[in-house]
Amino acid sequence: MLRASRLRETMLELLAYDFMQRSLLAAALVGAVCSVIGVFVVLRGLAFAGAGTAHAAFAGVTLAYLLGLPPLSLAIVFGLATVWITGWVEEKGRMKLDVSIGILYTATMALAILFLGLMKTYNPEVYGYLFGSVLSVTTEELLTIGGLSIVVLGTILLLSKELYFIAFDQEMAAASGVPARQIFYLLLTLVALTVVIALKTVGAILVFAMILIPASTAYQLTHSLTQMTLYSVLIGIFCAVTGVLLSYAFDLPSGPSIVLLATSLFFLAVCCSPKRLHRIQAE
Amino acid sequence: MCSNWLTRLNRHNRRLDPDIDDNQQLHRTPRMTHPIIRFDHATFGFPGTVALEDISLSIPESEFVGVIGPNGSGKTTLCRAVLGLMAPVSGTLRVLDCACEELRCHHRALIGYLPQKGMLDRNFPVTVLEAVMMGRYGALGLFRRPSGKDRDIARQALAQVGMDHHRDSALGALSGGQQQRVFIARALAQQPRILLLDEPTTGLDLTAQHSVVELIEQLHHELKLTILMITHDINMIRSRVDRLVLLKTRLFAAGPPQDVLKPEILSQVYGKELVITDKDLIIVEDYHHHH
Repeated sequence: MLRASRLRETMLELLAYDFMQRSLLAAALVGAVCSVIGVFVVLRGLAFAGAGTAHAAFAGVTLAYLLGLPPLSLAIVFGLATVWITGWVEEKGRMKLDVSIGILYTATMALAILFLGLMKTYNPEVYGYLFGSVLSVTTEELLTIGGLSIVVLGTILLLSKELYFIAFDQEMAAASGVPARQIFYLLLTLVALTVVIALKTVGAILVFAMILIPASTAYQLTHSLTQMTLYSVLIGIFCAVTGVLLSYAFDLPSGPSIVLLATSLFFLAVCCSPKRLHRIQAE
Repeated sequence: MCSNWLTRLNRHNRRLDPDIDDNQQLHRTPRMTHPIIRFDHATFGFPGTVALEDISLSIPESEFVGVIGPNGSGKTTLCRAVLGLMAPVSGTLRVLDCACEELRCHHRALIGYLPQKGMLDRNFPVTVLEAVMMGRYGALGLFRRPSGKDRDIARQALAQVGMDHHRDSALGALSGGQQQRVFIARALAQQPRILLLDEPTTGLDLTAQHSVVELIEQLHHELKLTILMITHDINMIRSRVDRLVLLKTRLFAAGPPQDVLKPEILSQVYGKELVITDKDLIIVEDYHHHH
C-alpha cells in the first residue's frame, strides 16, 4: 500500500517536468504512427524495404548537419528517394527485391559514415539520431513530429480501405477499380515519413523495430484486419510510453528500452497466440 | 474518351442504389444491342513476345463463355486484357463499350474477377465478411467509407454463394472450395455485369470442383451475368456453357461446345496430349501430368 502511493507520487513528480511531458507525448505519437503503418508494412511484406529507408534517412541527417541544414528536411528527401526506388524495382521485377534493398541499405549507410567522417568535430546530436534520445526532444521537434503524425494518420484514415485491399492482394485491387499502383506508392511515402517522425525518438537503427514489432504482435492475436490495427496501436503506444518511463526510472537508453519491451511482448504473444494454439489443436 | 461514359456512369450509380431491389435492377438495366466484350483483330504481348495474336471475338451480354487451351496459350492474357490491365499492341478491344486502355476505374468495378487460386497465407488476418467487403471498395471510390447498405450488399453476396453463416470466420481457416465461394462473393459484391473466372476449380478436390461449377452455373441463370470462365476442365463445363473458345496464341475455334469439341479441332491444339475415351471424355495428358 505504502509502495503503491510512493510510486504514484514519483509518477506525478515525473509528469510535472516539461521535458518528461514532451518525451511522453513524442513517444505516444511515435508509438501510434509506427504501429498503424506497421500493419500495412507487415501485411504487404515491406519489412526489409523500411529498414533500408531508416538507414537512408540517417544519411540525410548526417548530410544536413554537414551542410548546416535542418536535419529532418534531408532525412525526408533521402528516405523518400530510397523507398520510391525500392517500390519501382519491385514493380518492374528487374532485380530481386532483397538484392536491390541490400545495395541501397549498405550504400546509404556508407554515405552516412562518409558524411560523419567529413565532419571535423564529434557531434553528439548526430548520434542521437542513430540511437534515439526521446528525453531530449525539444518543443520544435515535438511540433514537427505532431504535424507529420497528423499527415500520416489522417491519410491512413482517409484511405484505409484501399490500403487494406492492396495489402491483401494488389492485383485484385487493381482489377476491382482501386487505383492500386498510386496507393502502393502512397504507402511507401507514408513509410518514409513515419521513419522520419520516429528518427529522433528511437533512432535510425531501432526505428524499424517500432514499425514491425507491434504489428507483428497484433498479427499473432487476431483474424480480423480491424482488430489487428486496434491491437497494434494499443501495443505501440503502451511500449513507447512504458519504455520511456522505464528508461528514466532505471537510467537506461530510451530507444532500446522501448524496443526490448516490444520484443518481449511479441514473444509472449507468439507463445499465447490463439492462432498457433488452434493450429496445434487441429494437428 | 468514351463517347457516352456519363450515361453509363449514371446507370452504374443507379445499380449501386441499394434502395432498388437487385432483381429490379437487372430488369431495368437495358440490354446492350451490341457486344459487351469485343476483340477486333487484337494482338497482345510484350516486346519480343506475342501472347495472343489477331483475336476477333464478340461476346453478347448474358452469355456464358468457356475459354480452353493448353498451358501458355494466352488464356490469362485474355483475362488481363478484359480487365483493362493490358492494352492491345495492335487491333482493338472494347469492353462495356470502352476501349480497354480507357477503362476507367468505375468501369473496372463492373467486372467481377476471380484470379487463379494463389497461395493464401492461412494466417492473413481477414474475416470472410472483411474479404467480401473489399468487393465494394472499387465502386465506392476514394475517401468514401462503406455504409450499412454496403455491408448488406456484401452479406447478400455471401448468401448467394451459401456462405453467410461463415461471415465472421477467418478466411484462412476455410477449405479451398469455401475460399473460392468467398472470392466469388467478393466479385458479386461489386454488382458486376461481367464475371471473369480464371481457373476457379484448380487445386480443389472433385466434390468442391463440382459444387463451385454448379454455383457458377446457378449464378449465370439467376443473375443473367456475362461469364467468361477460363478452365482446364473441358468435361466439367461442356454441358454448361453457351459457347467455348479454344485458344493457342490464336483463336482456333469459337462456337457451341459440340462444334468445338471435335477430335480433329482439338488434336490440332493439344496434339498427342489429347486422349478421347469411348465415353467421350476428353483427357489432356499434359495438364494431368503437371498438376
